[in-house]
Amino acid sequence: MMEIRGLFQMTESNNEKGLLTKKDLNNMAWRSFFLQSSFSFERMQAGGWEYILMPALRKIYKNNPEKLKSALKDHLEFFNINPFVVTPVAGVIAAMEEKGEDREAIRGVKYALMGPFAGIGDALIWLTIFPICQGLGASLAIQGNIAGPILSLVLFNVLHFVLQFGGIGYGYRKGLSALSKLRTGTKQLSKLASIVGLTVLGALIASYVSMSTPLVINAGKVSIKLQEDVLDKIMPNMIPLAFTFLVYWLLKKGLKPSYIFGIIIVFGIVTKYFGIF
Amino acid sequence: MMLLKVLLISIYSGICGLDSDNGNLQIYRPLATGAIIGLILGDVQKGLIVGGTLELVFLGVMAIGGAQPPNSVIGGILGTSFAILTNVDAKVAIGIAVPFSIAVQAISNLIYTANAGFIHKADKYAEKGDTKGIELMNLAGMIPMFTFFFLIAFLPLYFGASTAKAVIDSIPAVILDGLQVAGGMMPAVGFAILLKIMLKKDLVYFMFLGFVLVTYFKLSIIGVAIIAVIIAAYTYYNGRSDDDGDKGVISNDGI
Repeated sequence: MMEIRGLFQMTESNNEKGLLTKKDLNNMAWRSFFLQSSFSFERMQAGGWEYILMPALRKIYKNNPEKLKSALKDHLEFFNINPFVVTPVAGVIAAMEEKGEDREAIRGVKYALMGPFAGIGDALIWLTIFPICQGLGASLAIQGNIAGPILSLVLFNVLHFVLQFGGIGYGYRKGLSALSKLRTGTKQLSKLASIVGLTVLGALIASYVSMSTPLVINAGKVSIKLQEDVLDKIMPNMIPLAFTFLVYWLLKKGLKPSYIFGIIIVFGIVTKYFGIF
Repeated sequence: MMLLKVLLISIYSGICGLDSDNGNLQIYRPLATGAIIGLILGDVQKGLIVGGTLELVFLGVMAIGGAQPPNSVIGGILGTSFAILTNVDAKVAIGIAVPFSIAVQAISNLIYTANAGFIHKADKYAEKGDTKGIELMNLAGMIPMFTFFFLIAFLPLYFGASTAKAVIDSIPAVILDGLQVAGGMMPAVGFAILLKIMLKKDLVYFMFLGFVLVTYFKLSIIGVAIIAVIIAAYTYYNGRSDDDGDKGVISNDGI
């Protein structure tokens, strides 16, 4: 954070009348859909990141092939961010390139922003907005309603396009000051999104983890159905809730989802065979 | 006729493979693939049901921070295809989908390793200042991905579609019933992964609120979501003055 503040001074002035036109910026936003085209474990999104910046680099270093080369080399270094928040960062970096900032400063800002922005993007998109859209869509689709996939695709992508196309110009014009503002804003937003996300998640657990036991307890002449007569009287969906927390505990213990999938298949077959579920 | 359908599904699978890394329009998710595959195979209704069911299983399973989870793309495509072709229950389809999704995860890790070749070639273009060459290398990375996802759908469907029914029929009922039970449990994995990442102590009761609204009040997911948004809005307007003390936002309050 100290590092960002220091660099912040340099790029404080707004960049309202920059070299890059609306068309250039939109071009970059379209290119952000190809951020992970050449994804590799070695350099992750480096190729796609440079692909996004290319229209800006070409224009800025039109008459300076040597500077272009060093910029090209720099931006092919390791890069990884959440794809949904790459454009504001690309906008800021393009503005810094245009102002002729020191290469070390550009690299510093790039790496200083990468981590926190990846975190914000993951929390906001993957963990809240995404499960809400998909959960709503799936709940309709399971009833055979075609509105399910349509609703989820429209909801998600409206937001997706606003982020990609809005973000690039915002980052470019406002520079680093934009990003620090964005960070405080997203903290509040991510709490609100968590509230909605967790509530929906609770509803999903109750609706779609389906487990009930056919066990019957014979006590003398009376037979008691464990599910209907006992568990449902206390709290319906008790088993699904407990089971979800069991899986949660296994994950916390460090068990990989692939193994848990395998365990559940065996568990399902065995418990069915013995008439427990 | 069947070959044409298999080809269509395979091309769509290739596109989905690309969308899961690029684009991110979410057409690769089981929810969307269910509908599309249902359309291709002539049973949209069943496609929607299987797709929706698989979507919940893979809900929490997404690539975060570069880690590769079991692959939801191929799980959705093969799971839905075989469910329609063999006429099994959506929950049994999960049992079919999961092994494929785990195998594909392992192979795509190899591709992501080999893909470094493209970036090494891009390094060479950078030294020459060849911007077009670099762009080409980035886009070329899509070729192996498309090919892989095309094949991973094509091979099992082309060779398996006619025999799948016989295979499923030969599986003893006790196993199929067990798979059905396992399928009912499976969504817990996706939800638990989300819980693991999202759950904060001070917000945990919201999860129970959602649970209770469905369990006792039989609300739909959309109904619960609307209530949740109202609560979030209330929290925003009430919590704003303590949390966010800058930029004169407070002065607008209380009007």
